[in-house]
Amino acid sequence: MIGPSIVIKGTVSGDEDLVVQGKVEGTIDLKDHEVSVGQSGKVHADINAKVVKVDGEVSGDISGNEKVVISKSGNVRGNIVAPRVTLEDGAIFKGSIDMDPGDTASSKVSLAAQTPAQNPADDVAPGFDLKSG
Amino acid sequence: MTSTQPSKLLSNLFESIDEDARLTVLHIGPALPETVEFFSRYRCKLHFLDLFGELPIEAEEDVPLSLDKQFAELMQFPAGTYFDICLFWDLFNYMGSDAIASFLLTLRPHLHPGSLAHGFAVHNLRSPPGDQIYAISELDALTVRQRATALPGYAPHPQSRLKTLLSCFRFDRSVLLADSRLEMLLSASL
Repeated sequence: MIGPSIVIKGTVSGDEDLVVQGKVEGTIDLKDHEVSVGQSGKVHADINAKVVKVDGEVSGDISGNEKVVISKSGNVRGNIVAPRVTLEDGAIFKGSIDMDPGDTASSKVSLAAQTPAQNPADDVAPGFDLKSG
Repeated sequence: MTSTQPSKLLSNLFESIDEDARLTVLHIGPALPETVEFFSRYRCKLHFLDLFGELPIEAEEDVPLSLDKQFAELMQFPAGTYFDICLFWDLFNYMGSDAIASFLLTLRPHLHPGSLAHGFAVHNLRSPPGDQIYAISELDALTVRQRATALPGYAPHPQSRLKTLLSCFRFDRSVLLADSRLEMLLSASL
């Protein structure tokens, strides 16, 4: 555990789970373990772990080989890559979430062919503007 | 307070999706749990951009192209990012014509011919501001939360005007909702 008064600048790596209650600037690399950023934790670093749980603040990219959870007190600014991501109600998140880390193909989903309206009576015709203004 | 709003058009966004393909989504608004959970069933990349937190977005006096610069600063997507789905819930009700033009100028390079968009606007300018936050909960329903404080700069555009302003989209379908609000399904027109 990195206690509330501890400040670490650099790379944190190892072979066990980690709880961060203090400050870390740099990189956290524990790819086979769990990283928890506690409510008092402030991480300005990219995190690579099996499971990442954020109750505090993270500014950096997060890679979770299994899952990433941002709890209601969590605040994350960065990009997340993980098979599963959970955002609890009240969590603050700015960035992108990639929920398929294994795929690097650039294939694009084709959405060109759309089904015509099923219930046209429900619709306002695209060119018809009822009393706008 | 949280409520559920049914949607007749939301499901259209997903009708043609090949579940094995990757989906790239732009959500203009804050990230909410329901949206993340909903999209977790897809292989996807979600980009959350809360422009509502930047309001009011207005041109700076004596600064040429200031709106273009603001949006270029706010909308920094990685090269090669092309959005399959854009979610514009209430966005244009809080942006002037010039801001919408600058927004689209920045967005356009990240659209492709099959890009679709879903949004809420107003059908009638007397429609009151909703000041709501939306999330997808089901293919045919959104979760709606009331914002704690009203957003600044509510100045909606009538549908006919919005059609002109949204130059790189065409209106595929629209549905009239309560309080003269409008649900829109758009597709890219590049």
